[in-house]
Amino acid sequence: MDGIHDLGGRQGYGPIDVNEPPEPFHAPWEARLFGITRAFTRPAIFSIDLFRYVRECIDPAEYLSRDYYDQWLLAYAVLMVDAEAVTVEELATGKAAKAIQNISPPMTPANVATLTKAMSRFDRDSDTGPAFAPGDQVKTISFGSCGHTRLPQYARGREGQIESFRGVHILPDTNMAGDGPAQPLYTVSFLAADLWPEAAGRKDHVYLDLWESYLEHA
Amino acid sequence: MSEDHSARIGAIHRELHSHLPSAPELRVKALESLLVEKGLLDPNTVDAWIAVYTEQIGPKRGADVVARAWTDPAFRNRLLADGTAGIIELGFEGWAGGHLRVVPNTPAVHNLVVCTLCSCYPHAVLGIPPNWYKTAAYRSRAVRDPRGVIAEFGDAIPDNVEVRVWDSTAEVRYLVLPERPSGTEDWDVARLAGLVTRNSLIGTERDLGRLVGTG
Repeated sequence: MDGIHDLGGRQGYGPIDVNEPPEPFHAPWEARLFGITRAFTRPAIFSIDLFRYVRECIDPAEYLSRDYYDQWLLAYAVLMVDAEAVTVEELATGKAAKAIQNISPPMTPANVATLTKAMSRFDRDSDTGPAFAPGDQVKTISFGSCGHTRLPQYARGREGQIESFRGVHILPDTNMAGDGPAQPLYTVSFLAADLWPEAAGRKDHVYLDLWESYLEHA
Repeated sequence: MSEDHSARIGAIHRELHSHLPSAPELRVKALESLLVEKGLLDPNTVDAWIAVYTEQIGPKRGADVVARAWTDPAFRNRLLADGTAGIIELGFEGWAGGHLRVVPNTPAVHNLVVCTLCSCYPHAVLGIPPNWYKTAAYRSRAVRDPRGVIAEFGDAIPDNVEVRVWDSTAEVRYLVLPERPSGTEDWDVARLAGLVTRNSLIGTERDLGRLVGTG
């Protein structure tokens, strides 16, 4: 969606807080929320792309002003209400009005050491060969989609070059249920000067990982 | 996602906005109590995850990867060919490490990593991202004004050095391999790892040499 989350190249957001303290969490509740999201049993399939889409749907003013982990809380809360595992009233009070039937016991501390080593892969076996080869000139499509997509606005309708083929990866646009169809994925290099007027004369580049359906032959 | 489902997601967002407790501490507390009562969460497991990402998994891992690459050319080659295989060799496999690509700085090239669309980060080797990495300021500027961003962190990239910005738009994650500073030729791996900062692994810092004299 053409939402507030698509921030690349937007202007007016000011300086970066380069003196942020080094600790991973800056408030106890941030750590708590992080830990909850790693530990709780998903009552339905919450794919990474569905989670991202739900976060993108946060009200634009809230998206820019709410703490990052508070946005995670909102996104998981929406996903659980959508899955009918909890109600808004239950989230507001912290008290369960109705039990969930037939669920397995939750993750225990003893499971954590093994799970920290878990590593998801998003590439899939495929008989479909890539349509583009490294060195090919390509042009990105001009339009995004109304749902989730990973082609940023700043790189739409621009010419670039295939830098490498990364394998056949699940396409985020159609991955709400968690195992949507896969497509060839490429790293595409764009001359910065082809994206930003002020980069004229520089040899700097921006690289994006883009799926085949985002690309056309230039 | 269907238009109906999108509309439903928006409606739930608005309903939550007007009903959830007003302070984040209270929202988190209510969520935790509810999940425990529903049988979906063990609070001791929350403590265990916090401990792992506070004490065990962090940028020290990325620094160890770099120090090893600086001292072992065969490992460096394997790491650059397949970052995921490289970190598995060191026992650092984990969250968002499944498609890791390591991008090396050279005298002619400087690399910078960002996720303009959300907050993608190689947690397995860098741990929890700094808050600035997730802010609108960094995400908007890193792709457009990388030299200005790096200058804000204190390093100037010379005009004759090419800047390469990696926007993590898919599930590939990026780790910068900084250059080994001169004057460290007789240093061992542990001492070298002590030079490598988190920001140099993201690319917002380039010159690690300033610590050599005091290291």
